[in-house]
Amino acid sequence: MPILPRLKNTYRSLFRKSELESDLDEELRSYIELLAEQKVREGYSHDEAMRLARRDFGKFDRVKENVRELRMGAAIETFFQDVRYACRGIRKNAGFAATAIFILAIGIGASTALFTTIHSVLLRSIPYDSPESLVVGRKTIRGVQSGPISRVNYLDYREMNRTFDQLAAIAWGTMEVTMTGASRPDLLQATGVTWNLFEALGVEPVVGRSFGLDDELSGDGSAVVIDYGVWQNRFGGDPNVVGRTIHLDGSPYVVIGVMPLGFRFLFDVDVWILIDDNNPIDNRRDAHSLLMVGRMNDGAAIEQATADLGTIAVGLAEAYPEANANKSVVLTDLHHYLVRGVSLNLRLLMATTVLVLLIACANVAGLLLARGERRMAEMAMRGALGASRLRMVRQLLTESIVLTSIAGLLGIAVAWALQAGLLRLLPMAGLGFERPVVNGAALSYAILASALCGVIVGVVPALRSSALNPARQLGSARINSQSVRSRRLQSSYVMLQVAISIALLVGSTMLIRSLARLTSVDLGFTAPGLLSGEINVQPDKYPTAAERALFFSSLLDEVEAVPGVTSAALTSKMPLRALGSDWPTWPAEQPQPANQDAFMPMARWVSAGYFETMGMSLLNGRDIQLSDDPSSAPVIVLSESAARGVFGDAEPIGREIRVAFGPIQDPIQVIGVVADARINGLRRTPDAAMYMSASQFGANRMWLAVRTAGDPDRLGAPIAELVERKDADVVFSQPMSMATVVDSWQSGFRVVVTALTLFSAVALVLTARAGRWLGRDWCWGLSLSTQ
Amino acid sequence: MSDGQSSLVRGTLDMLILKTLSLQPMHGLGISNRIEQMTDGVFKVKPGSLFPALKRMEQEGWIDGEWRESENRRKAKYYDLTPAGRRRLGEETQNWGQAVLAITKVLETG
Repeated sequence: MPILPRLKNTYRSLFRKSELESDLDEELRSYIELLAEQKVREGYSHDEAMRLARRDFGKFDRVKENVRELRMGAAIETFFQDVRYACRGIRKNAGFAATAIFILAIGIGASTALFTTIHSVLLRSIPYDSPESLVVGRKTIRGVQSGPISRVNYLDYREMNRTFDQLAAIAWGTMEVTMTGASRPDLLQATGVTWNLFEALGVEPVVGRSFGLDDELSGDGSAVVIDYGVWQNRFGGDPNVVGRTIHLDGSPYVVIGVMPLGFRFLFDVDVWILIDDNNPIDNRRDAHSLLMVGRMNDGAAIEQATADLGTIAVGLAEAYPEANANKSVVLTDLHHYLVRGVSLNLRLLMATTVLVLLIACANVAGLLLARGERRMAEMAMRGALGASRLRMVRQLLTESIVLTSIAGLLGIAVAWALQAGLLRLLPMAGLGFERPVVNGAALSYAILASALCGVIVGVVPALRSSALNPARQLGSARINSQSVRSRRLQSSYVMLQVAISIALLVGSTMLIRSLARLTSVDLGFTAPGLLSGEINVQPDKYPTAAERALFFSSLLDEVEAVPGVTSAALTSKMPLRALGSDWPTWPAEQPQPANQDAFMPMARWVSAGYFETMGMSLLNGRDIQLSDDPSSAPVIVLSESAARGVFGDAEPIGREIRVAFGPIQDPIQVIGVVADARINGLRRTPDAAMYMSASQFGANRMWLAVRTAGDPDRLGAPIAELVERKDADVVFSQPMSMATVVDSWQSGFRVVVTALTLFSAVALVLTARAGRWLGRDWCWGLSLSTQ
Repeated sequence: MSDGQSSLVRGTLDMLILKTLSLQPMHGLGISNRIEQMTDGVFKVKPGSLFPALKRMEQEGWIDGEWRESENRRKAKYYDLTPAGRRRLGEETQNWGQAVLAITKVLETG
């Protein structure tokens, strides 16, 4: 029987069972009718003949049942036979099987590990009630997304919108507050939230209550909700914590509730402070510091909500053109917002692993094809002995599926190992997702992947190996042309692998180059040998700026006396550790530009000697000095690009500028220019910045920068002790070497690069290995063809 | 052929059907009539054995079924040998011959 109709037959038996059944019915009926006809010819009446025929036939259903059982039994029997045969083949060819299994196990393992991570980050929903109706809102200027929303505008959006059940807001970041009143002072991470944030998220405190609208209306600005961990560690899990008064930065607050264990939203926060009129984030319509978080009405789509808020924005822009011109709101699905940082990396990695899996498949398919060449004689023999082509294809497919199943099991082990090592390094801690573990979904993925691989890997070689017409094949010369075609197929497999491997290599080389760029990036300051940490004094203990300035300057003297310290200085925001704070700045002789047109460099307060301690080079003019105190005229040092931004190419030294937002409304004299530094991150251009004299402001919270002779990490403890001796209510918090800080900025990217490089290496090794195997088998093919 | 005998002659039934079909294509009833006739009524192949055997052999690719009109204008499914079936018949005949020879030898010994 020619191949095609037979394949059609089998196709029918596989997929069109019912048609097969009715065909059998018809056949059996025709049998009875023919039998009856025979009886008629023997002399029976028509009715009698029918009756006899039915009797002789026996029970109709019984016959059908027999056929059905046979079919089923045959299928199962064939399957086990195939599996047995496959196992025998694998044992006989242990070297080949080990290679194939190794290759596939790595491919399946790597992609399973990645799948697990992606599943837990990108696919699984976030842990809040009906997360699909949660959105975040950010400001746009002329349609371009540009960060936080002002509190005053937020209140209008909340009042006027018609598409939200709850429109809440959270501060655009956290702040560190010192909690006193307990046994010892403690630094806590705090953020401000509107009363309805927890309600919008659908999360209730486990102890006490959540904020209510009444809390906001009463406006005494003193309600806080605390984190479960803080409740356990700082209050010993005391159930009477509700109603207790705590002091944050010297001001009294009342604890009204404790959030459930594991609750976290955007930031790791110890205490949530209610934003109300008395505890405002800011009170100006053009001061932006809130992220809106909204739960849309049932059935409202994000487009409707966007349109709704957009209409309000148009009204606000007309009513307050100075603050709100061109401003509107963009809404983003909360889940997308949360994963925005890692999703690209993960997708890149996933694409890579899929490619690695493909390489592994192409690899093993090539191996099977090469082996198929050797087995042509065997197949031809089996064909001659009456095995149908379908039977042979099925058997070869079973073999490859058995291979890939074993590889899949091993791959799960590989996934475990990879997961434990590599993927834990992904910058996921900040996302509020569970750590990925190899779970049921991952296992199903692995099993599915291995089955799929089995088919991909097996189908072409199986079709090729069994494509012989045994009658003409045995002892004929056609084997030669067959091998040529097979070899062509093999070459295309190898070519495919090489192509994918090269693509991967090029990709990872490019990434490695940008990692190298990132590592060798000019920070604008010298990170090695630099220690940094934050110091926070109680405003109620040092009420005046002069007192605070005095505390800090005497602290600097004492720190510089610590053995191993070369120099010490202060800044209001440590580069790469405390971000933001850009203030509109313009030449003093000009009128203030509109905020959205203003040039806004980063504003920093620094002590004398800051640039030297940081290792930043002064390009022009002079440094901030001890003499730049409150009694003298205000001075400012601009960074190179800040000077260019304000004055263009004109000489800046000696000119005067004005700065909005800051405490100094008078013109400030420019006394020097320093090099630009990376303040807000490594992967962006150096930030324009301006540095004012800390003692002319007298902040209560400063970062300490310490230049050390030896290992900076060793000095963390002695300096912390010194600070505590000086004032028991002050803490030297988060001491960390700047080298470590820079490293952590690179780590997320480095993990991606490492993984990609690793996978490309695996791909390359696999390709090389396949080449060797193919080479060997080609020789085999040649020797076979000459026989 | 009664069911009790089937274990003894399962292979034999295949062989008989193949042999029958080697002469000409036939439908199910034709096959069972022909076998009964050829064996002088010793083997009566009932539908309960015949159809499973036919379906199995069809799956193995030894025979191939096709709907045609019978001699008196009725539709019936006719089976024909495939090349594989023809080879199979040759093998079975050979095996059978050897087996019969061997068994006969044993029985005649002593």
